[in-house]
Amino acid sequence: MIELEIQILSDRREGLLVELGRVVVASGFTLLRQRVYQDSQGAWLVMVVRGEVERQLGLEELLATHNRVLSFEATLLAPGAAAPVGVAPLPVPRAPNGATNGSPPSLAAVGPDVSKVETVLPQLARDYPKIFPWLLALEHEVAAEAREASLLLAGRRTGIWVYKRDYEMGGKLGLIDSIKRIASPALRALVTVDVRERHVHIQNCPLCPPGGHSGCKFFSGFLEGMLGASAAPQTVFVRNVHCRSHSSGAGDCILEVSH
Amino acid sequence: MSAHQHYNLLLVLLSYVISVLGSFTALQLAVLIPLARTSQQRIAAVLAAGAAMGVGAIWAMHFIAMLACDMGMPVSYDPLLTALSAVIAFAACSLGLSIASSGAFSWAKLAAAGICMGLGVTSMHYLGMAAVIMGAYTSYDMNLVATSMLIAIVASVVALWLAFNLRGPLQMIGSALVMGLAVCGMHYTGMAAFNIDENGGQAPAGVAGGMRGDNLGATIFVVTLVLLIGALIIHYKRQQRRAAISI
Repeated sequence: MIELEIQILSDRREGLLVELGRVVVASGFTLLRQRVYQDSQGAWLVMVVRGEVERQLGLEELLATHNRVLSFEATLLAPGAAAPVGVAPLPVPRAPNGATNGSPPSLAAVGPDVSKVETVLPQLARDYPKIFPWLLALEHEVAAEAREASLLLAGRRTGIWVYKRDYEMGGKLGLIDSIKRIASPALRALVTVDVRERHVHIQNCPLCPPGGHSGCKFFSGFLEGMLGASAAPQTVFVRNVHCRSHSSGAGDCILEVSH
Repeated sequence: MSAHQHYNLLLVLLSYVISVLGSFTALQLAVLIPLARTSQQRIAAVLAAGAAMGVGAIWAMHFIAMLACDMGMPVSYDPLLTALSAVIAFAACSLGLSIASSGAFSWAKLAAAGICMGLGVTSMHYLGMAAVIMGAYTSYDMNLVATSMLIAIVASVVALWLAFNLRGPLQMIGSALVMGLAVCGMHYTGMAAFNIDENGGQAPAGVAGGMRGDNLGATIFVVTLVLLIGALIIHYKRQQRRAAISI
């Protein structure tokens, strides 16, 4: 079990806790504490939730694509740091940065290094689409066990962000149309791609050099985030069919998208 | 006969520009409809888009095109029918845009929305023509009338498809250019269907109380100004929204 502190910015306060509380519960998490307040940026909802680590990405994706959420930040709380329900005002203590620096190893071993990812996300937004130096740095900074999950999370958050920024206006599309009209041009801003229906061929993927470690996780997350937010229905899976890092740099990286 | 119609090409071009500007404003408002968070927001967005399309792109275009047309005799317009033509265009476009923007895309929905919009353009035109008061007998070539309706429906379907299914510049500009073609294509085909026969110079009843081109010019100027301001506000708000989205 993990505990997360989630800070959400919305444009208005009314019904925020009810709507997002439902998302938390639907994702299999328990809401431990919450606080809602308003400032010049908008309405803030801060929640401390507890649940299975395997469900964290799912929860984050639902929050990121929720129409009440303008932005959010999820922080993994150090074990035992969260106060009992209904006690102590927020903010609460956060997990120490850098799972690679020693603690908490049990959490880092199974999930993404959320704090490292959260640190790099603003840089990705600032320099987009020239983001590969930041991603390569992230890949090297996190623990080996957290590498793929961290890149996946960074990819999802970036994909959702790009969708909301550049592609949200218009009708809801089916999966194939979303791949063709949204994911394909968005990916072309980053890399050379060849899209064949549900298969995305990435040529010379800069994150997958021979002997590399990412396994196309960033792009898998990018597609999942972007298509999950754009396509109807919203559950999208991306499978890594082939990665050039596993074949001495030969061939394209191939990702398969499905519902 | 239609040979009596002579056009001022500058005003014809202006009529297309106005229809594109109105379509741009309307369709860019329309693609925001699916993002509405409350029913009030949705209704407001639908009505704003419907007004920009119905009154801006269609009604204002029609009357600029009428000012561009010299029929060889004085022409005025029945105020009630003229106002009603604007209301019909507004209602039909609001309904069409509401259908097109609801839920996930489907061809049936696109066809229904395109038919609504196309019939809105057509109804506005022929009601607007019914408002014409002139000293002549008028009639229509029904084949061309049907063609004008078909042009309006087909081009509306294409424009809505572009607006709701594409993203990027083609969505923004392409859909407006095509919708402008729908409106102008329908109008000028409809005008080609309009036959005028001399009635010996008898002025019909009501010609004195009708609106003259000068009155329409002022109204059209206001509509155009509102459209331009609307387009600028949309652009500004979009930039603001884009900057506010955090990763």
